Amino acid sequence: MESVVELNPRTECAAATAPIWQDVLAQAVTGELVAAMNYGALAEICDDPEEAREAWEHAATERDHATAFAAAGRTIGVEVVSNVDGKHWKRVRESFLRCVAERDFIGCLIIQEIMLESFALASYTRVANVAPGILGKIFGAIAIDEQDHADHAIAILKAERDANPQRFDEKLHRLHFDVMTTLAKMLAKECKDGHCEVCQFSCVKPSLFEVSLSAAQLRGASLQQYLKTLDALGLPGEVTLAWVAQLPV
Amino acid sequence: MGSAAAGVDFALVGHPENWRAAAAVFSALRGEDLPDDEIRDILPWIPPRAVCRLEVTSRSGAKARGVYVDSFIPPDRLGSPCVRENLTRVRAAAAYAINAGARIVSLGGFSSILIEGDFDQLPPRQHTVFTTGNTLTVAFIVRGVAKMCALQGRDLGRSTLLVVGATGDVGSGCVRCLASRVRRVLLHARNAERLRRLAAELESEGVDVEIATDLAQFSEKADVVICAASLPSPSLLLGEIAPDALVCDAGYPKNLSPGAKMSRATIFFGGLGQITGGLKFEPDLRGILNHHPFPDVAHGCLLEGIALSLEGRFESFSRGRGAITPALVEEIETIAARHGIALAPFFNADGPCTVYNR
Repeated sequence: MESVVELNPRTECAAATAPIWQDVLAQAVTGELVAAMNYGALAEICDDPEEAREAWEHAATERDHATAFAAAGRTIGVEVVSNVDGKHWKRVRESFLRCVAERDFIGCLIIQEIMLESFALASYTRVANVAPGILGKIFGAIAIDEQDHADHAIAILKAERDANPQRFDEKLHRLHFDVMTTLAKMLAKECKDGHCEVCQFSCVKPSLFEVSLSAAQLRGASLQQYLKTLDALGLPGEVTLAWVAQLPV
Repeated sequence: MGSAAAGVDFALVGHPENWRAAAAVFSALRGEDLPDDEIRDILPWIPPRAVCRLEVTSRSGAKARGVYVDSFIPPDRLGSPCVRENLTRVRAAAAYAINAGARIVSLGGFSSILIEGDFDQLPPRQHTVFTTGNTLTVAFIVRGVAKMCALQGRDLGRSTLLVVGATGDVGSGCVRCLASRVRRVLLHARNAERLRRLAAELESEGVDVEIATDLAQFSEKADVVICAASLPSPSLLLGEIAPDALVCDAGYPKNLSPGAKMSRATIFFGGLGQITGGLKFEPDLRGILNHHPFPDVAHGCLLEGIALSLEGRFESFSRGRGAITPALVEEIETIAARHGIALAPFFNADGPCTVYNR
């Protein structure tokens, strides 16, 4: 990922906000590593060698993203620690692996490319707007990267839905309840279920305003991206609105 | 863009009137109350989309299928500083309605900006027509004022009529319908030049007119008042009217401030009609999306698209600003009545005006 943006060790970041960025980066690195693991598992169930090759490529790209985020952390003097077994990420990963176990290629794409990518793309874009120097550039560049391969997956999913809308929508609804409920808890303004096991010390959310972010803003942007993606697939707006309205807050 | 499984006859484009109304819809979809702070955090991020499907039955038995599309303009961002952002939202809602296959779209509240101005702000389209619905709103305001006067034994012909927001599309339509039926007309608006032009038009027809950009400047107190201003929130204080005045608040959002002290005045919400043939919602948001004390009541601007759809007249009946005439008002009211869409029972912020609904 270093090729996307050249790292600049002189990037300035106020010492007071460095721990906040450390936790933001920890979530990003963890998300990228989960995505890399997901793509690796997906490759194993691809019948088409070309699809398998693409999945391995995506896995490598996501690992590069994680490496780039960790390197960005070092430029501001923090060590970014990830935890793919953190409470929420572990649940998301388990949901994905259930689809893998069922050799449900479309289910895997729905989780990774619609749900997790919406979250990543929207969050990274918001962070890119406010993060200083190299941090902002890294988040911005990776957001563009994520958009590119999400577009490809959307085309596959759109064709799948067009073939049988009812079957597709039922599957999406089932996965929505499972995965988006977990993501909604992760994105809630407060972590009501206790520590997420990714933030280094206490929850970073109450401190986000110090870097011109807020948990509500990140959640809103993520849900907006998710709904727009579902719109692009052709799901009825009144149905997806009800789904989102039912998520935990 | 979200799709419709099957095309619809009409679409209604709107936005929440206030946070309470927005919260009610989300709570109904959710199955439990959503805290106020959460709805304020979430709603601004929701992309314009369908909220529910509708099926309307005419008194004749004909049916029309439609969709309610919300632009999700946050109720506290209706003011001019947000006009560009809101315009983007409304255009997206209009695009949604086009994509849903609607043959006619009613643009409620702020949404009418798309076809009220000098420029066509609508998204690309082929077979979809748009109406502001303002003509039917005017019809219900005028009908309501006249009916209420009759019920109160008030002689409309001896009344002094004040119209707040008189140069707007709805306000000027009301003025043109009622000016010849009252003793004197007081016109209030923010734009003095537009006021002068409207006054000159009325004076040329022999109407006794006074204009002011400040309500306190009028030389006499009105005893019949129509509030039809585009205000971002209910903030109007009517201090300079007759104590026992009849006040029709036809704004969306409502014009009158909850703090307006008019203990002797008769206040009712105007511009509203009721569907009597049947109205179904999917999901069932009946009484939630249209949160009025009476069933199947909606704003005239939305009902116009439904009435035209039931009539099979897919045309831009209301368009531009200042084009509403008594003849058009009579025509749309007749069409609506043919399909069982008539003036709603009277109510205000305190509930039904029971004494006038018998």
